[in-house]
Formats: sequence, C-alpha cells, structure tokens
Amino acid sequence: MDTHIVITLPRWDDITEYLSSFSKEIVDSCKNKQIRITTVEKERVTRKGFISSIRKNTKMFIFNGHGAPNCICGHKDEELISLGVNDYLLKDKITYARSCWSFSELGQVCVGKKSGCFIGYILPFQFVVEEKWVSNPLKDNTARVFFETSNLVPLGLIKGNTAINSNENSKRSMLKAMNKILKYKEKGNRAILEALWNNYYSQKLVGNGEMTLF
Amino acid sequence: MIKENTSKEQINKEDIKELVITRIRAQMPSNFRLCIGQRGGSLSGAQMIEHIKEGDEIGEQIIQSHLNFIKAQSTGELITALNSVL
Repeated sequence: MDTHIVITLPRWDDITEYLSSFSKEIVDSCKNKQIRITTVEKERVTRKGFISSIRKNTKMFIFNGHGAPNCICGHKDEELISLGVNDYLLKDKITYARSCWSFSELGQVCVGKKSGCFIGYILPFQFVVEEKWVSNPLKDNTARVFFETSNLVPLGLIKGNTAINSNENSKRSMLKAMNKILKYKEKGNRAILEALWNNYYSQKLVGNGEMTLF
Repeated sequence: MIKENTSKEQINKEDIKELVITRIRAQMPSNFRLCIGQRGGSLSGAQMIEHIKEGDEIGEQIIQSHLNFIKAQSTGELITALNSVL
C-alpha cells in the first residue's frame, strides 16, 4: 500500500522505555498489513534522525516521548517538533502524539492554520507500573491497560478507520477498562482507575477527524 | 483584609495537600509507581508525597490530577461516562 508511517521509539528513561516497548503492537500490525513503517529508535530519535525518516508518501506520525505544550521531544528531550519552528512538517498529516501536553498548543496551532489531524493530550499522559517490571515493561500487566487502550488510536487508523472513530474507540476502551477495574476491590485499582480517567479526559482530537490512512 | 484572604488561601492549600497525601497513602501499594510526565523515572507513593510536601512542579501536577478526578466524581461526569459504555 502506498502509504508510509513514521514512529518514534526513544528509550532513555523508564517512561520512554515503557512507551516504546508497548508500541511493538503498532509496528507488528503495520508489518502484518504490509504497511511501510519507519521506526526511529533510541539515540536516533533526534530532530535530524526524525526528519530524515520522512518520505514523500508519509501520511502519519506516531510520537512517543516527553513533551510540552509547544513541543514533542525525542532522545534526551531533544525537540523533534517545535511550535513556530518546524510544525509545518505536520501539515496534511495524521499525528498521534503520546506525549504530555502537546495537544494544548502544538496540536491546536498546527492544524488551525494548516490542515491535517492531531490526536494528543492536554495533560500529562499517565500510567502506573509495577516496580519489579521496570526493566522488562512487556511483562507488566498493570501498565498494559494504559497502552492497550491508547494504542487503539494508531491501530484503528492502520485498520482503515477514520481518525475520529479511532480516537473514540480508544476512549471507549478506557471507560470499559475502568468499569472492569471497579468490579475488584484491590488497593492499587484506585490508582489505575484515576490514571486511566486522566488519559480519557485529556486525549483530544483536533482538525480533520474524517482523515484515514488510505 | 488582604492578609486574611492570603491566610485563608494558604490554609486551604495545606488542607488540599493533606487530602491528596491521604488519598495516595490509601490507594498506592508499595510496589506501584506512577509515571506522570516527569523526566527520569517513575514515582513511588513516598516520592509523590515528597513532591507534594516540597510544593514543586511535579507535586502540583499530582495535586491537580487528584482534584480533576474528585471534580469528575462530584459533578457526575465520571459516572455518566462510565455508564455510557455499559
């Protein structure tokens, strides 16, 4: 299929290690569907490394990493996309930024004056982990629910769904997970529930929600 | 008058800190860590409480997150959303 995705996978602290480890499902899904995806990994997640991964037919960006209202970061917080500097790179693209706060300014402005679709977070993306799995995130079943639900944004798009449907489906899955958690009275469940609510509440879409990958 | 208001505000802020610390103690098992956007690593319940007591940026984020949840509960926003997928 003549469409291309770029995904950033930084791994320089616990948080980026989890974000990138649980993105395996997204990369695997692309490979299974024979969709071209370029993974920008570890110390290559610099502005230069990111820009060099963009092709003429790149239609979607998936960012994992720290962020701020005016930027999305990569390895050791190098700014990949900065408001007013290179936000034009997102023009006409579908962007999913699993990074804190980036929706609030970057998402609004880059779509407001150009075109495309941006899905991101108005607050920090939160997740709860188990201490014993910090060095092996994929075995962490406590953290899994945060990524299985948020991964549904890119996975929905990869399946051919619209951005708005993918976002809504992801948010619905967060609510379903919360309902399930409420059935069990374990001490940590409350912390998981509140972090999931934070992500549900803060995950937003702006721009052309009817965009699809194909 | 201004002094009185400031004092009242401070008391309220301390009360809120105490409320959030109590909630953390009640709901964070010792083997859990929270990732809330901070650089570096994840936070244990004790580290979260430390940040709140110090009143730094991370502490403020944690407080805000708890207040957002309490607000969603008290306004019915949470239960309405949860019921929408039953």
